[in-house]
Amino acid sequence: MTFRLQSAWLLEAVADISTVDSVFFPFIHRFSALNWLSRRDFSLSVNAYSASQAMLLRAWLDGRNGAFSDRNLQKFNQQIKNPLDLSLNPFRAWKDRLFDRQQLDYLFYWREAAFEIEEETQREIFWSAVYQIMSCWLSNRVCEMPVECRPDEMMGLMLNRHAEFIKGREAKISICNSSLEELPAEKTCLTVFPLIFGDEENAEITLQVVFDAWQNGHDDIEQAKRQMRVQLRKYQIDFSKPDDHYLINRLSANSKVAALIWSGLDLPPALYEQELVRPLQNSLSTRYQKSRLLMKAVDRTCDAYDYLLLFY
Amino acid sequence: MIITLFNALLIVLITWLAYLYFDLREKAMPAHERYSKLIRGVASIVDCIEGYDKKHSREIAELAERIGMASGLQPEQLQSLSAAAMLHDIGELLLPRDLVKSGKKLEGDDLELLRTHTLLGELHLKAQIEELDEVPSLIRWHHERWDGLGYPDNLKGEEIPVAARIIALADAISAMNARRDYRKRQYSGHEDIIAEVKRLSGMQFDPQLVKNWVSIGCPVESGKK
Repeated sequence: MTFRLQSAWLLEAVADISTVDSVFFPFIHRFSALNWLSRRDFSLSVNAYSASQAMLLRAWLDGRNGAFSDRNLQKFNQQIKNPLDLSLNPFRAWKDRLFDRQQLDYLFYWREAAFEIEEETQREIFWSAVYQIMSCWLSNRVCEMPVECRPDEMMGLMLNRHAEFIKGREAKISICNSSLEELPAEKTCLTVFPLIFGDEENAEITLQVVFDAWQNGHDDIEQAKRQMRVQLRKYQIDFSKPDDHYLINRLSANSKVAALIWSGLDLPPALYEQELVRPLQNSLSTRYQKSRLLMKAVDRTCDAYDYLLLFY
Repeated sequence: MIITLFNALLIVLITWLAYLYFDLREKAMPAHERYSKLIRGVASIVDCIEGYDKKHSREIAELAERIGMASGLQPEQLQSLSAAAMLHDIGELLLPRDLVKSGKKLEGDDLELLRTHTLLGELHLKAQIEELDEVPSLIRWHHERWDGLGYPDNLKGEEIPVAARIIALADAISAMNARRDYRKRQYSGHEDIIAEVKRLSGMQFDPQLVKNWVSIGCPVESGKK
């Protein structure tokens, strides 16, 4: 599920075809990918594929929720001076597999502390900061790089970063909570489909699986992984079913322009044209009269290109 | 007799191929060098207009190349890395001077405008010099962060091409080593910079690249420890 949403490139390409007054994402892989688009002068709707993703989208992209208050920061981000009783920690099975002892103590403490936060929006910001911290810890762990920043200090840094991220943001984004059936009521001008292929496992998926398990208070990674696969499967492009583009057809029904985006790696562009673009053009030919494929080189040594396929 | 004739033909063929190879190499090498010199020349003009007191872009490019080599980049990748590192701030030339050279920390619309230099640099280079291949894309992403909270596209982790991640690291190290009027925190020395880079590993910087940088002795300038 590695792809780059190049928002300015997308809007520039669509500007030649139509004026954009609303954008709909039936799926998005990661909240921060929508940052640039959520600051433009049009309405933005997005379907979250899980409850925790909806929470992250709200916390980072909805301007109404504001920043985490200093009062709450002082109250709920204490430094743990002595190790906590590990037998009470529901995530103890992750010790030395995913996190070290100190990190596990903080994950336990932060989860309990979050439930003490009265305002739901503040709690969601706090949780979303833990998501970012987990991301940092896991990526350092993969590289066997010791984490030099203290957990409580990192929490402060992340919440500060969050405050900067939402500064000047207006609430223009509407988030559907993991529901594919609900299309936006008004006519969507541009529908954007980020395409994902097969059951790819990468750092972002691992993070979301671990975060989901943590937020739900259980240590069963395999169960969280299965749930994630089920949630993602309906968005995946299956090359063995080249004519099955029902979902794309259905969800773009209200839009003037449909944009399909993906990032290719280790496969030449001609193969994507043959195996993906042509079947899609056939499937959508009754709905759209024209289509246009755009490509951008990212790294030619490994055939990495970003693709943008427009239907209008 | 047949074998001798075959051998003679083989020798002629090999000699001809060797001649072709050396002839091509002679033609190709100067082109490559000319390309590097041209990029260096453009970068020095950018530095001059930006008012840097030393060869700023070249310093970053050389530091980026050192990290790139430690990270096992291929020669073609190193060439793109070096070119992009030298031209990374070229988009700033298209912005108002008083904005770019403002001594204070920017906020709001001013900050948003300054951040467009990544997109302007990419657009302009792509439109003017097609031969630069992926260099414009690397310029677009040299302010992305490993944690997805950078700009302009908020790419995260390995979505950011490795060369762009290296430029981001080299640029930040170079900035820490320089004095900037608006910065709250000043870095008093080499140890301070090392501590800060390690502290931001996994947040601003790719942890693997930080590890590679540490493995080559944490250089903060080209050729110096």
